[in-house]
Amino acid sequence: MSAEVEVDQVLVIARDIFSSMIDGEAGFLESWVGEPPVLAEPVVAWVDLRGPWSGRAALRTETPTAHNLSRALLGMSADEEVSDADLADAVGELANVVGGNVKALLPEGGKLGLPEVAAELPLTADAVLMHGVALAWRGRPLVVEIWALPTLDQP
Amino acid sequence: MRALVVDDSRTMRRIVAGILERQGFEVLQAEHGEEALAVLEEDDRFDLLCIDWNMPVMDGLELVAAVRKNRQWRNITMMMVTTEAEQSQIVRALAAGAHEYLIKPFTPEELRAKLELLGLVSVKELA
Repeated sequence: MSAEVEVDQVLVIARDIFSSMIDGEAGFLESWVGEPPVLAEPVVAWVDLRGPWSGRAALRTETPTAHNLSRALLGMSADEEVSDADLADAVGELANVVGGNVKALLPEGGKLGLPEVAAELPLTADAVLMHGVALAWRGRPLVVEIWALPTLDQP
Repeated sequence: MRALVVDDSRTMRRIVAGILERQGFEVLQAEHGEEALAVLEEDDRFDLLCIDWNMPVMDGLELVAAVRKNRQWRNITMMMVTTEAEQSQIVRALAAGAHEYLIKPFTPEELRAKLELLGLVSVKELA
């Protein structure tokens, strides 16, 4: 996997998603500078990829940032309330788009699962973090992770 | 013009519907293929179906095949709007009967360009 999907490709995917779907222009998603960010009130969205290579694409951020991402995706104003359902759906869709674009880089493809959202990422003991790309969206931390999960059920 | 947006993500349905409405479409929404078929059975006066691939209950590829099988719906244009970006998947969708294919993420301009390619909006409307 690491030979097939490089960290730079994950970064390109994330930047493309944010410039296309969230900001409408490039430049608001940058690499995180300094120590890995510690996320307060974390929320994580993920999708599983099942196939010759099985793994998980996840997007972690802080809940207030997830609210702002949801507002940006849904074209809501800064003072509009984001429901829990809208937040889960919006960040889940972001993880889904990350996962789909990562899957496209795999030589043998696979099947993409449906997005899930929680406060913590459930992982099996054999999970291996392939890439953890720390980013800053409008100054707030956000991490895109690619996990190998060898024992994930096959499609 | 009428469009049916089929996606299990309400976020994506709202994004796609918003772009289509700004182009003058009347837009209805469905959460998965089976719900879309129920909408079509009720009223099939649609010019465009925008269809996600990965959905629960009935996925987008199954929906495309089901619509294509019904001669009554042969004039409905179908566009996949999906994260499935591999060439092999695009070929599968087109072979099943989809007319166009848009990979997420996309910009509003890219969706509007696809509508123009499909002859559903004019260049003048795009300007």
